[in-house]
Amino acid sequence: MEQFLAAASWVCICVGSFFVVTGAIGLLRLPDVYARIHAVSLIEGAGAGFILLGLGLQAGFTLIAVKLLFIFLVILFTVPVATHAVAQAALVAGIEPQLDEDRRTPAKSDDV
Amino acid sequence: MELYINMVLLTLLAAVTVAIIRQRNLFGVVVLAGAYSFLMASVMLVLDAVDVAMTEASVGAGVSTVFFLATLHLTRSMELKPAPRFLVPAGFSILLVVILIYGTFDLPAFGLATAPVHVHVAPHYISQSIPETTVPNVVTSVLGSYRGFDTLGETTVVFTAALGVLLLLRRRRRSSDQSSEKDATE
Amino acid sequence: MRLDLILRITTKLILPFIIVFALYVHFHADFGPGGGFQAGVIIAGMFILYAIIFGNFAARQVVPQPVAEAMVPLGVIIFATAGLPALMFNENYLNYNVLASHPEHGQHLGLIWIEAGVIITVAGSMLSIFYALVERGR
Repeated sequence: MEQFLAAASWVCICVGSFFVVTGAIGLLRLPDVYARIHAVSLIEGAGAGFILLGLGLQAGFTLIAVKLLFIFLVILFTVPVATHAVAQAALVAGIEPQLDEDRRTPAKSDDV
Repeated sequence: MELYINMVLLTLLAAVTVAIIRQRNLFGVVVLAGAYSFLMASVMLVLDAVDVAMTEASVGAGVSTVFFLATLHLTRSMELKPAPRFLVPAGFSILLVVILIYGTFDLPAFGLATAPVHVHVAPHYISQSIPETTVPNVVTSVLGSYRGFDTLGETTVVFTAALGVLLLLRRRRRSSDQSSEKDATE
Repeated sequence: MRLDLILRITTKLILPFIIVFALYVHFHADFGPGGGFQAGVIIAGMFILYAIIFGNFAARQVVPQPVAEAMVPLGVIIFATAGLPALMFNENYLNYNVLASHPEHGQHLGLIWIEAGVIITVAGSMLSIFYALVERGR
């Protein structure tokens, strides 16, 4: 059982690290602000979530696991809001998203 | 393992410092300063100085970033062009770095147990803190119980610093709106 | 000020947890990392977050500027009074052993007492500096 837990925790940490690295590459390579925010959400959601899950499996049912759960909840509540705020600030600042095709109807976009 | 983590963190610190120097947009500098504080807190965490790490994270990455942003609101967000002559400042900086590095040769090695700072009162604090005060966190017992006068002095320093900053920042209403405008653009 | 629903709701959700965390950092300083300085900064950060999201006016209604500025010397006074009971019992200044029947309890009580002074000074100074900066910006 203990070995299974250790193996599971390492698998979780490795998966989380993979997501973090993927998100970091995306942050560097993606073309515009909105796509990069998407990469950040991958890091914070999947990456941090899996790493915290792996750490929690190593901790077992202790106070440390509860603290890790709280850290996860804080990340869960704050990071989407922060990325939302960045995206909205970019939109207010007038940065246009890069699109392949603009699917908005022309009349509507004129209204805006 | 700790050595490698420290090496990576210190390398990142150096990279962030270079980026701060080269960045002309002060908004970017503020964000990078927050990243610097976060990395510094991580270094402190690796060195097992949890209290310092917490202070660095809350003050350096938290509140001072907000203060920097509030200051940027008062000033421009682009740094002015540097002075064209930089040989004298650069030479002075290099000289200072050489002197400081020369000064480190006389310091005891990093983490040496027989360093003077570790043989004076530190062993007493570490061994007697729990029998004398029953406070498990030695940092708190040293700050509060053994060195209460120091901490009282530190609190007074915070008080004095806040007093000075407030005296500089606050001004009587309607005294001179024009001069505040001029200050803001300087 | 722009009214952003998501930011406002999330801030409302998070504010009580920030202050609970700050109090945890304060009262748990004997056993874990933290202390008055960090807790004071966290409390000041909570009010600054409130001021950023809900506006300067709302924050000044919660903590008026004179209150924030009065907190700065008040904390030093609270810290300094922590040493007075020891003087009454002919002990050294800032010796907390006399604060309770057991010297150990006295130590814990004294630490929490002085950290409360540090909290009030630090939170008050951070908040009043923020208010002063915002006031200059208008």
